[in-house]
Amino acid sequence: MSLPKPQTDAPPPEPVELYQKHVKIYPREVTGRFARLRTLTLGVLLGLYYGLAWLQWDGQQLLLFDLPARKFHVFGLTFWPQDFFYLAVILIIAALSLFFFTALAGRLWCGYACPQTVWTEIFLVMERWIEGNSRARLKLDQGPVSGRRLRLKTAKHALWLAFSLWTGFTFVGYFTPIRELSQQLIQFQLTPWEIFWILFYGFATYGNAGFLREQVCIYMCPYARFQSAMFDRDTMIISYDERRGDPRGARRRNAAKPAGLGDCIDCTLCVQACPTGIDIRDGLQYQCIGCAACIDVCDDVMAKMGYAPGLIRYTTENAIAGTATRLLRPRVIAYALLLSVLTGALIWGLWQRIPLEVDIMRDRSALYHRTDEGLVENVYHLKIINMSENDQIYDVSVEGIAGLQLLMNDPQVTVAHGSVADVPLRVRADPSELAAGSNSLTFHIRAIGDPKIRLDQPARFIGPAQ
Amino acid sequence: MEVTPQSPDPPDDRLPTIQRLASVLWPSFLTAGAATVVFFTLFDPVELALLAGYPGVSRQAGYTLGFFAFWLLTATSCALTCYFRRPCPPRAPQAHSDRF
Repeated sequence: MSLPKPQTDAPPPEPVELYQKHVKIYPREVTGRFARLRTLTLGVLLGLYYGLAWLQWDGQQLLLFDLPARKFHVFGLTFWPQDFFYLAVILIIAALSLFFFTALAGRLWCGYACPQTVWTEIFLVMERWIEGNSRARLKLDQGPVSGRRLRLKTAKHALWLAFSLWTGFTFVGYFTPIRELSQQLIQFQLTPWEIFWILFYGFATYGNAGFLREQVCIYMCPYARFQSAMFDRDTMIISYDERRGDPRGARRRNAAKPAGLGDCIDCTLCVQACPTGIDIRDGLQYQCIGCAACIDVCDDVMAKMGYAPGLIRYTTENAIAGTATRLLRPRVIAYALLLSVLTGALIWGLWQRIPLEVDIMRDRSALYHRTDEGLVENVYHLKIINMSENDQIYDVSVEGIAGLQLLMNDPQVTVAHGSVADVPLRVRADPSELAAGSNSLTFHIRAIGDPKIRLDQPARFIGPAQ
Repeated sequence: MEVTPQSPDPPDDRLPTIQRLASVLWPSFLTAGAATVVFFTLFDPVELALLAGYPGVSRQAGYTLGFFAFWLLTATSCALTCYFRRPCPPRAPQAHSDRF
């Protein structure tokens, strides 16, 4: 039995699509000036990643975060865990630069430099090379399972996996010296941990660049979510010029523009080229990674139609609305100021940095000794860390109490670069010069070859408690 | 999946699987990475292993195990957050009676 339908003109409530099911995207191949720029940055960045690990400086890997030795070698400088402060400042500077460039130029980072973009792009290049262009790939995926399909897929995944493993190997090569690592690899002597991380990072590359792709940007990237906080109406974005393009409509080529239509011929090439599958004509969307593929395809179409380029272009919301774009605004100036202050502080700090660290430990087994001559003696251990690039001879002296005697095997301590020396020493004082209990004294450690490298380290000297 | 606004499904179930997985595994991965960096800058895994009575643990092993221990912790925390963010089932309507 069916109920009589109420006679109304209102359509039934439409089902609401709250979340789109993931549809695999086959971004259309794009040529043009921004595509060329992207290829260029892609080559430079990938070249840097795979090449930098192999460069040497003074017999030392140029860029090596040597985790097994707990030392970072960065362009000839050596950083120790004690230098964590500098790392923190560098990270803050990196974050601020991201804010600065986002406020000025929008998502340049996403479109050209983000590792997710760069590796997705190179994986797409490999995919195109083996399976053909986007239409051929779509046909292949929708077609029947065939020998050819199996062969192409196997070849593609084998190539992807090989590239991923090379990526993982290079990644580990930034944390253990890559030349030793390659020797170990050839001789099948990698440690289990090295193998694990090569596989882990290789697998992450394979998954992120081969399969997840734009979903990383949409669902996983925190920057994509909060970048709108750095945007304003003067930020450079990629935008469709609605006033010029609308109303959209198909038309014949080489014919006069039909009355009542804008410049957009509704060819949907901008949608087909988009690697995140959005329609740029719907306005600014957080899924847009600013890759400019839609600009390139649209400019091509405009040229074919004989219209001016730039229906989709880099512009600002203010410019689209017809008002002037301001480059210098409080937000940009504030980011720039902060950035220059911090960068200046970092350079000054690195300039002033003393590549020497001294830990003084008093021997705790006895508070003090009495010598045969009636002097009071304390025993210390000096841990001298030579963080400089050269071997150093350090001169150790002590002051703070009149008539102090310093007893060491050799008052000049030689420490190889990047090494730690443990120096036992004894200090004797006349009890008549001592206050009861704890006294202050200062150790001076000076590098003989370099007057800039010196440290004064305070310590306690314990005497009798009367 | 198509849903009507009146759908009884808790909203989390309408999220794509990838987003649900990512919301647990990814933030925890990031924070575990940061925690690993800070922790092992302050403490040398070799010295920690010695203190704990496990000599012969290499630094690489220490860093790796440390990272995954942090990830396990942070992922647990993210998963619990997601779990508790799920709406509770609506309370059963209380039985009203006019007899009293």
